[in-house]
Amino acid sequence: MKKELENTFVQLLEKNQNIVHKVCRIYTNDQDSHNDLFQEITIQLWKAYPKFRGDAKFSTWMYRVALNTAITLYRKQKRAPKTQDYESVHYKISASGYDDTIEQQLKVMYAAVKELNDIDKALVFLYLEDKNYREISETLGISEVNARVKMNRIKNKLKNILNP
Amino acid sequence: MDELELLKKDWKAREKDLPRLKASEIYPMLLKKSSSIVKWIFIISIIELALSTFLNIYLADDEFWAQVKNIHFKNVMIGIYIFSYLATGVFIFLFYKNYKNISTTDSASQLMKNILKTRRVVKYYILYVLVSSGITMILYFVFSIMYPPAGSGIDPEKLNWGWALLIAIGVTLLFLTLLWLFYLLVYGILLRKLKRNYKELKKLEL
Repeated sequence: MKKELENTFVQLLEKNQNIVHKVCRIYTNDQDSHNDLFQEITIQLWKAYPKFRGDAKFSTWMYRVALNTAITLYRKQKRAPKTQDYESVHYKISASGYDDTIEQQLKVMYAAVKELNDIDKALVFLYLEDKNYREISETLGISEVNARVKMNRIKNKLKNILNP
Repeated sequence: MDELELLKKDWKAREKDLPRLKASEIYPMLLKKSSSIVKWIFIISIIELALSTFLNIYLADDEFWAQVKNIHFKNVMIGIYIFSYLATGVFIFLFYKNYKNISTTDSASQLMKNILKTRRVVKYYILYVLVSSGITMILYFVFSIMYPPAGSGIDPEKLNWGWALLIAIGVTLLFLTLLWLFYLLVYGILLRKLKRNYKELKKLEL
C-alpha cells in the first residue's frame, strides 16, 4: 500500500519537477543550495502527500508546499552574493556606447529579483508562472488588492532600475 | 515591451535548461531527514517544556519538604504544586493542538501564523514558570524570615523588612533575568527569518 503511494508520488513529482526546480532557482544562488532546497521540498511534499485528496491539481498543490518550504521552513539559505551591482552594469552599458541590449536588461532584472525579500520573490515567481491575482492571493494568504499593490511596487522598482 | 513581460518571456524560454532528475534519483530523497524549522521548533519546545516542568514540579525532595514544614509553608506549597500541575497540563495540551495545526498546504500567511502561535504557547509557559518561580521564591524567603530556625540569630520582630524584601526581590529578579535572556537567545535565533517574512506579509494588511 505504502509502496504504491510512493510510486504514484515519485511519478507525479518526476513529471512536475520543473516547478520545484524553478522555486529553487529563485530562492537559491548556487547549485549546492539548489540541491538542498530541492531535497527539503521533496520531503515536505512527500510528508503532505497522504493528505492530498486530488480536489486541486497536483501542480497547484505543489506550488503551495514548495513556496512555503522556501519562504518559511528552509533554514540553510546563504545570502545572495553581491556580485551583480545593477547600477554599475547600467553605467557600463551607457558609457561603452552600447544600446541597452535585452540580454543586459534581463541580467539586471534577474539580479534585482534575487535581491527582493522572500515574499516579493514569491509574488514575482507566481506572476512569471502566469498565475492570476486570485491564485497569487490564495497561495500567499493576502487579499487580491494587496497582491496587486505589491506587484505594482515591484514593477515600478524594476522600471526605475532599468531607467534611472 | 513591459519589463516584467520581457522577464516572463525569458523565464519561459529558460525552462528547457532546468535540471532533470530521474525517478531513481528522487526515491532516495524520500528517506532523508528534514531540516525544516518546524522539526527544530518541536524538538526545542519539548526540551523547554520538559526542563520547565522539571524546574516547576520535580525539584522538591524530602529535605525540601522538611524545611517547608519547619517554616509553616507546607499548605501554601501544596496549593502552588496543584496549580502548577494543572497549568502545565493546559499548556502542553495547547502546544500539541497548535503543533498539529501546522500544515505546509495552508497559505503562506496561515502557515507562518500557526508556527508563531505554537511558539507563543511555549513562550507564555516559560514566562509563567519564571513568574511563578519568582513569587514562590519570594514567599519562601518571607516565611523563612517569619519562622527562622533556632540559633540563626534572626529576630523577625527586629528585622528591617524593607531591606530584606528588597534583597529578596533583587536576587530573584537577577536569577529570572538571566534565565529569560538565555531563553530569548534560543527563541530569537530560530525564528528570526520567519518573523521577518511574516512582518513583510502583514505590512499591507494594516
